[in-house]
Amino acid sequence: MQHPFPRRGLLAGLAAVPPLAALSACQVQGGADEANASFPTRAVDFWVPFDAGGSGDLISRAIAKAAEAPLGQSLPVTNKPGANGAVGLKELLAGKSDGYTIALAVKSLFAIGPLVVDDPDAVVIEDLRIITTLTNEGYVLVVHADSPYQTLEDLLAADQVNFGTTGVGTGSQLSAGLLFGIAGVNATDVPFDGGGPTVTALLGKDIEAASLSLAETMPHIAAGDMRPLCVFSEERSVYLDDVPTALEIGHNILVDQRRFIVVPGDTPDEVVGALTLAFEEAREGSEYGQFLQDNFMERWEVDGMEAELHLAEATEQFAAQIADSGVTLGSAE
Amino acid sequence: MDFSSVLSGFAVAFEWQNILFCLLGVTVGMLIGVLPGLGPAATIAILLPITYNLEPTAAVIMLAGIFYGAQYGGTITSVLLKLPGEASTVVTALDGHALARRGEAGPALGIAAIASFIGGTASIILLSFIAPALAGVALAFGSAEYTILALIGIFLVGTLGNGSIIKSAAAAAAGLLLATVGLDPLMGTPRFTFGTDQLADGIDFTIVAMGLFGVGEILYNLEHRNRPQTAVPSFGRAIPGRLHWLKSRLAILRGSVTGFILGILPGGGATMSSLVAYAVEKRSAKDPSRFGKGAIEGVAGPESANNAAATSSFIPLLTLGIPANATMAVLFGALMLQGITPGPGLMSDHPDVFWGVVNSMYLGNLLLLVLSIPLIGLFVRMLKVRPGVLAPITVVITMIGTYSIRNNAFDMLLVIGLGLLGYGMRKLGFEPGPFVLAFVLGSLLEASFRRSMRIFGGDVTEFVQRPVSGTLVAILVLTVVVVPLLRKVRTRQTANAEQSGVTAE
Repeated sequence: MQHPFPRRGLLAGLAAVPPLAALSACQVQGGADEANASFPTRAVDFWVPFDAGGSGDLISRAIAKAAEAPLGQSLPVTNKPGANGAVGLKELLAGKSDGYTIALAVKSLFAIGPLVVDDPDAVVIEDLRIITTLTNEGYVLVVHADSPYQTLEDLLAADQVNFGTTGVGTGSQLSAGLLFGIAGVNATDVPFDGGGPTVTALLGKDIEAASLSLAETMPHIAAGDMRPLCVFSEERSVYLDDVPTALEIGHNILVDQRRFIVVPGDTPDEVVGALTLAFEEAREGSEYGQFLQDNFMERWEVDGMEAELHLAEATEQFAAQIADSGVTLGSAE
Repeated sequence: MDFSSVLSGFAVAFEWQNILFCLLGVTVGMLIGVLPGLGPAATIAILLPITYNLEPTAAVIMLAGIFYGAQYGGTITSVLLKLPGEASTVVTALDGHALARRGEAGPALGIAAIASFIGGTASIILLSFIAPALAGVALAFGSAEYTILALIGIFLVGTLGNGSIIKSAAAAAAGLLLATVGLDPLMGTPRFTFGTDQLADGIDFTIVAMGLFGVGEILYNLEHRNRPQTAVPSFGRAIPGRLHWLKSRLAILRGSVTGFILGILPGGGATMSSLVAYAVEKRSAKDPSRFGKGAIEGVAGPESANNAAATSSFIPLLTLGIPANATMAVLFGALMLQGITPGPGLMSDHPDVFWGVVNSMYLGNLLLLVLSIPLIGLFVRMLKVRPGVLAPITVVITMIGTYSIRNNAFDMLLVIGLGLLGYGMRKLGFEPGPFVLAFVLGSLLEASFRRSMRIFGGDVTEFVQRPVSGTLVAILVLTVVVVPLLRKVRTRQTANAEQSGVTAE
């Protein structure tokens, strides 16, 4: 069915229909077949399978804005939250594979999700095609500034530790869980509903430590309310270069969140090519670059094949580490 | 506090384009507040792209205006149609709608608007003077404190309504059960999701409220549409009379303070504030039996409270960078997109933004009051529309609103299902109020309690040992056990005294 307007948030009509989008939408009333000839001829819907206001939402809005010029079309952002992105991606897969609907996806859904709950209907990366990769966001283990633990060694020598996580099946839970599990610390994880409540709990000393993203912690580290103990990246973070990696301290734990844009797997090659090109150019934009810096995100810019390989390797590695350390993430407890 | 930056904030707030964006924000907010199901969070998300090219202060002034404007607008549908769009207006619907049925919709909405204005303004003044000091209050509330707070809330739910206590309790229990739908908050195990991801994150509050109150009520009313229409009483003036004002002024005062304090708490503070304000009014009333049947204090208290709470919920965002609710999360995003990080550094790094936004709220609240009074007269006429015409329109708007929450068609089916449940409850004499409030507080109670138990290593006595949660436990015991017991003893004594009164004299 053709829509008189590109599908998008319902109120958007009230807000601002870019004249260009409205015009070109009228032009394709005839059918979708001509799409391949000169993709895109109308607005491309950018679905964010997360709530508005979160990191995933912000990155999507920043890159969507940057991609408008190279794509020559507007990219209205629509939030389709639910089940760490699974709801939105399933809807994407159920829709047309014409490239007019694209979606953000995250590593944790594919690499950590299966370790928590065994779901035969889970979205798998094989059903999708990665059109571009965007960011790599590191995790940092923080304690309250008043905490007696000055270094990671202090913390790992503690008898008992309560640590907060941003939820079950998140990199936050996996990184800290693996660290305490491998180091043999008697630690209890306390899952919260997202980053905000976890930060609140740490600042309020309800929990003793938490592994959180740089974006969630940097303002509090800068304000002197939190102390970073280690990061979980391969090399030190450019934003926190005096904080050691877990690897340096002898624990081979590499956990991060990576974000990328996907379309259904059977989307035509020409369409994928056009989108890939446009996003490659968009990533060069200075405003997008500034956004990444403001939000303490690092670039992850590889091709689709390499990205899929990375996801597969990470999934395998996490599964093996979980099995070795005896850490439990979810219902297995 | 640095007074020069406060004053220069006024200069920023009163720049002509900022006044314009403030007006735009509060008007849009009020309108979407009136439309059932359309919430400020979805609206702000949709409007985000047009803020990209605005100056940060103007953008946030407008978006904030949408948020508190929606609080004013939401009251209108709560009172007129018994359709609360936010958890914090559920209690307003109880007495507000009863008043409307009695023909006092005008004064009810008038008092609500005035209460909102006073609550909002008082809250801004308090925020300006003590915001930084109060950031600590949000942090003093950990899992243990939220557990007890939610427990107090659930007991307060019992004071709502005027039907049988058993039926209220049954409805609340069903609400608690519904709150368990979704992934287990600590283990990730799917519960009652029937294998679908659609229910993985549980059910959104708005969907439950729209279904039980909105669709359920509409179905119930349609059943009676062929009956001779009860003579619609004249609606009276929008400006409340002296008597209404005399009855509500203390309620407004108490509600403002309650709302301001509870609004600071990032988890469920606003809902709790209206609930607490209602309970306070009902308990302090000479004749509590009026409540639920159209007591104006039952509108004034919660309304001033939820607007005060809406304002003070900016405190954790602006001082700690912690969004208190879904709308604050989107505002947080809006600031980040502007290159401004809300948090501990905001007040010193961007005093113009901080004070510009805070001070624009004085103007925004004033504009809302001025806008409300004439609009109330207009909206009240909505009640004169035949149910056969009004009902389908309301259902369509409700469906659009439901879809807009997460752009998901499944949610529209949920609303219909819950609507049928609401209709059934209504037929059998169960009230939806206790159900939806227990639903909201249920997930808070469950998750907080289980987190506390993990933090305490399973030791329940820690709830009493921690100073803040210990105090809350004391309040809980006092209000739930001691006061009712004393009251019972006293009534028995007076009864005895009356019996033996003659001889004693």
